[in-house]
Amino acid sequence: MIRYLAQRAIAFIPTLLGVSILIFGAIRLVPGNAIVAMLGTEAGMLTETQRQSLEVYFGLDKPPVEQYFNWLGGVVRGDLGLSVRHGQPVLDVILARFPVTLQLALMAVTIALAVGIPIGILSAVKHNSIIDLLGRVLSLLGLAVPNFLLGTLIIYVLSVYFRILPNSGDYVAFAENPGRNLSQMIFPAFTLGFSFSASVMRTTRSAMLEVLGQDYMRTARSKGLNEGTVIRRHALRNALIPVITIVGVEMGYLLGGTVIIEEIFALPGIGRLVFNAISQRDYALIQGITLFIAFNFVIINLAADLIYTAVDPRISYA
Amino acid sequence: MLKKSDSSNPSLLRRLLRNRSGTAGLILVTLYLIIGVLGAVGVTPYPSLEQHARDRLKPPSVQYALGTDLFGRDVASRLMEGAANSLRVALLSVAISASFGTLVGTTAGYVGGRFDNIMMRVMDVFFALPALLMALVIVSILGPGINTTVLAIAIVYTPIFARVARGPVLSVKEMEFVLASRCLGTSDARIIARHILPNTLAPLIVQVSLALSWSLLTEAGLSFLGLGTQPPTPSWGVMLSESRGIAEMAPWLMLFPAVAIVLGVLSFNLLGDGLRDVLDPRLRGQKG
Amino acid sequence: MRKVLLICLLLSLFTFGLASAQDDSNVLIMARAADTTGLDPHTQTAFASFRLLELIYEPLVNLDAELNVVPSLAESWEFSDDAQTLTFHLRQGVTFHNGAEFTAEDVVASFERILNEETGAAARANYLSIASIDTPDDFTVIFNLSEPDVPLLAALATTNAAVVDSADIESGDVATVANGTGPFALESWVPEETTMLTANPNWWGEGPFVDGIDIRIIPDETSILAALRAGTIDFALMNDPLVATLLSGDPTIVLNTVPGIAYHVLQLRSIDPPLDQLEVRQAISCAIDRQEVLDVASLGEGVVTGPLTMEAFALPTEELFCYEKDLDRARELMAQAGMEEGFTLDVIAANAEPPTALSEAQSIQAQLAEINIAVEIESLELSVYVDRWLAGDFQAAIALNGGRPDPYTMYARYWQSTGNLNNVAGYSDDTLDELMASGRSETDPQARYDIFAQFQRHLTEQAPWVWLYAGYEYTAQQPYVTGFVPNPTDSILGLAAVQLDR
Repeated sequence: MIRYLAQRAIAFIPTLLGVSILIFGAIRLVPGNAIVAMLGTEAGMLTETQRQSLEVYFGLDKPPVEQYFNWLGGVVRGDLGLSVRHGQPVLDVILARFPVTLQLALMAVTIALAVGIPIGILSAVKHNSIIDLLGRVLSLLGLAVPNFLLGTLIIYVLSVYFRILPNSGDYVAFAENPGRNLSQMIFPAFTLGFSFSASVMRTTRSAMLEVLGQDYMRTARSKGLNEGTVIRRHALRNALIPVITIVGVEMGYLLGGTVIIEEIFALPGIGRLVFNAISQRDYALIQGITLFIAFNFVIINLAADLIYTAVDPRISYA
Repeated sequence: MLKKSDSSNPSLLRRLLRNRSGTAGLILVTLYLIIGVLGAVGVTPYPSLEQHARDRLKPPSVQYALGTDLFGRDVASRLMEGAANSLRVALLSVAISASFGTLVGTTAGYVGGRFDNIMMRVMDVFFALPALLMALVIVSILGPGINTTVLAIAIVYTPIFARVARGPVLSVKEMEFVLASRCLGTSDARIIARHILPNTLAPLIVQVSLALSWSLLTEAGLSFLGLGTQPPTPSWGVMLSESRGIAEMAPWLMLFPAVAIVLGVLSFNLLGDGLRDVLDPRLRGQKG
Repeated sequence: MRKVLLICLLLSLFTFGLASAQDDSNVLIMARAADTTGLDPHTQTAFASFRLLELIYEPLVNLDAELNVVPSLAESWEFSDDAQTLTFHLRQGVTFHNGAEFTAEDVVASFERILNEETGAAARANYLSIASIDTPDDFTVIFNLSEPDVPLLAALATTNAAVVDSADIESGDVATVANGTGPFALESWVPEETTMLTANPNWWGEGPFVDGIDIRIIPDETSILAALRAGTIDFALMNDPLVATLLSGDPTIVLNTVPGIAYHVLQLRSIDPPLDQLEVRQAISCAIDRQEVLDVASLGEGVVTGPLTMEAFALPTEELFCYEKDLDRARELMAQAGMEEGFTLDVIAANAEPPTALSEAQSIQAQLAEINIAVEIESLELSVYVDRWLAGDFQAAIALNGGRPDPYTMYARYWQSTGNLNNVAGYSDDTLDELMASGRSETDPQARYDIFAQFQRHLTEQAPWVWLYAGYEYTAQQPYVTGFVPNPTDSILGLAAVQLDR
């Protein structure tokens, strides 16, 4: 098991390297430069000497290949470089914002599972009933509403009809004030979870339908087990595997930051950080974040593998 | 169970029409296509860029069925041309990613070995980055615009198609009839075309219709960030994001593009559902 | 049962969370969409930077709501009759936030830093007439000028000429310490997120009456609007006129509107054909209905303006070239230039900076189509836009430029052939140079007015740029926030006088 995991982990190294080379190359093709972006319209005032000294400071004066290897060398030692905009080590900047994104992702996925799985099961069990129909309509709508639209509407309704807006740019960490934090995170999490709950519902439903038609289900029923037990013990377990797969993909996506939702709800997460880093041409920060995101993706893939083994006894990595 | 090809079955269209989601999706998609084509050739109530200075921000009326925007442009006409543009982004990006992804996935799966490994690793690199982030970087390099949007979405979805295409290839290529034709000296290209592709077609078709719906949403998201289709060219995403500031003053500016996007995504999803029901042999016969 | 308990628990946490959002502290909560780009007052150029740094740092003089020069760190001043010596009497007993005393030495060190080319000070070009600085005592500073320079005084009224602690200059820490003399001191700054300011109890002026300011960046202005309505913020800076006007109908929120002196402009680079032909530029000027651009982009919130936007120098638009849309004349001019067939004009605009840019571009696009000019709009990210703009790599650009109380300071960098941005402006002629030079040395107000009236007529006739309109500056506040005086320069120094009666 451990050996399998180690193998998988090593296999991901080329992926991470690839991501870093890709992004490193790509952002050097991007027009506009960090120094100008930092100083604004009148960077024309900047003298050549001054520009050079800034470039030396941020290591932008060396040829790209050398810059890359210097950067890579730093990464190995846990140093992702210095952010031009924040004037802080990239890793610190990222780690300060990651909890927001992580919490948002976990809450969104929890909401989606809490809503999607029960409805999905119900739709499958009561196949072709009114409940099934309603569930399907709801799930189709969930997939079709752009989340920035949903977010905008939620904020509008909250502020105009309820005169509340839990987060007004004053994000509070969970550890500091759990209640406050939850009230700030619940609406953005719901916005993100809404469309995902639709995917969960659809996946659960079709997986359940498939499982319910299998021979062993008939056997279980004929043993005289009641329907509830059959569904819980036999059907659900098997039906959950595809759900785990999409949860893995979704987590990977959510941990990459959800630019739009973080912008609308003014949450200081990875998405806003990367969006600002790109528009400000903060090279080191962009590189650091993408590597970090790709790393998360790798971890989540591994985690999904582990969960498969826990849920599905047929899979084992002995 | 895998079929050698689907030619023995009644036509796909007829089977689709027997399926409720499929029928609904097909009707909506057709409607969408008609509106898009009309918009593309300019058969709209007004030219979509024509500004009527005296009729700014007019609510829906007989003269302007869906109202006018800040510039006094007819919303209905813009929605029609927007349909064409949104459709163009969706179709082009999916066409590129589907063909490129299928090519990569199929050859990688078929050739196998180190080639497979390298190709799929490369795909992993693209897959490991969130779609919007990739799109952001690409748009920053090439500058925003309709073609960049297409390219950005295409690159993001290519690995998904590669994965979808590769899976069935792995199992099909070991099957007797493929091995048999190999022994008979059939060329690889021919084997892929005759035996492998037909078997990957079903999941790919389903994936295409889903990807079409995603790309509509991605286009809207990019437009929200000001990185998608550029004004004054209308697209549903642009119209929706333009409306955010003044939706309170002129709700119709948000309502109609929103409905258009929701219905557009819905129709592709319904079609995808229908196709899945019809094409996925495991589920066939279970639906009423 | 367990589930019910859990839900109860969550709900109680939730309400607790909401309740604690309303506190009675005396800290002003302020929201805005963009953050400062840095803390060095001398090098910042973005509007968003000034809106923070002007609370922390102070220049020698300031501008009041009528754009008069008023005392700040200098209590009084006098110009010699020949406009070649400017003497400041400094305020005594002023301390920096770190406790150091403010003296003439700091003024000298600050101006040496600004004038040093290495610093890259944004406003350096406006102070080049300063030949030497004398300090007869600790609280008197004499600027000896190399030539008569009347506009210098008003040009000093900017955060770009703020006085910083000479010790910080010596140690090279100006860009990081934010050690000023202003009404508020910087406590913490997280870029793009939050800034905490605390009141400076030793400030020389009246106030501040709040204990501090909690500044939050909310990138989406519709979300700022929502926060105002929900009552979770006290004060907000608004940039988007579309969003701001929504507040004007809201009885529970106070919207402060003041005509601004910043101007929206279509910049034509006269260097390359076909814009090098005077007739083509004039045709463009004649073909644009400026009021319509204003109506579309800012819902009519503003005034159509010539080059000079401040009341003391603005001309009635009838006196300016072709301010009434005249399509016949425009077509005639195009014909004279041999351009009846029209051409393609590439216009760059920064995405959402200002928020009205793309609307202005679209309105102009539709209007210029009437004289066969096909406008291609290139919307760029701000950093790319700035890059290309500085390099002069554009045919035409939509821009929002800041205004200054004095016309010379406002335009010397663009319309004097030696100006540092003249190359970007892409046009110069002898008349402009002469008018600028005499406007600088003339001391008689009426004569200066006449000079700059001529300057405006000449500039609009040459049409290197097409001036469109000046918008309003918006701030919004809860009714319990009192005492704020908005300023046409958009300065929020008025926050020093603000009181909270929750």
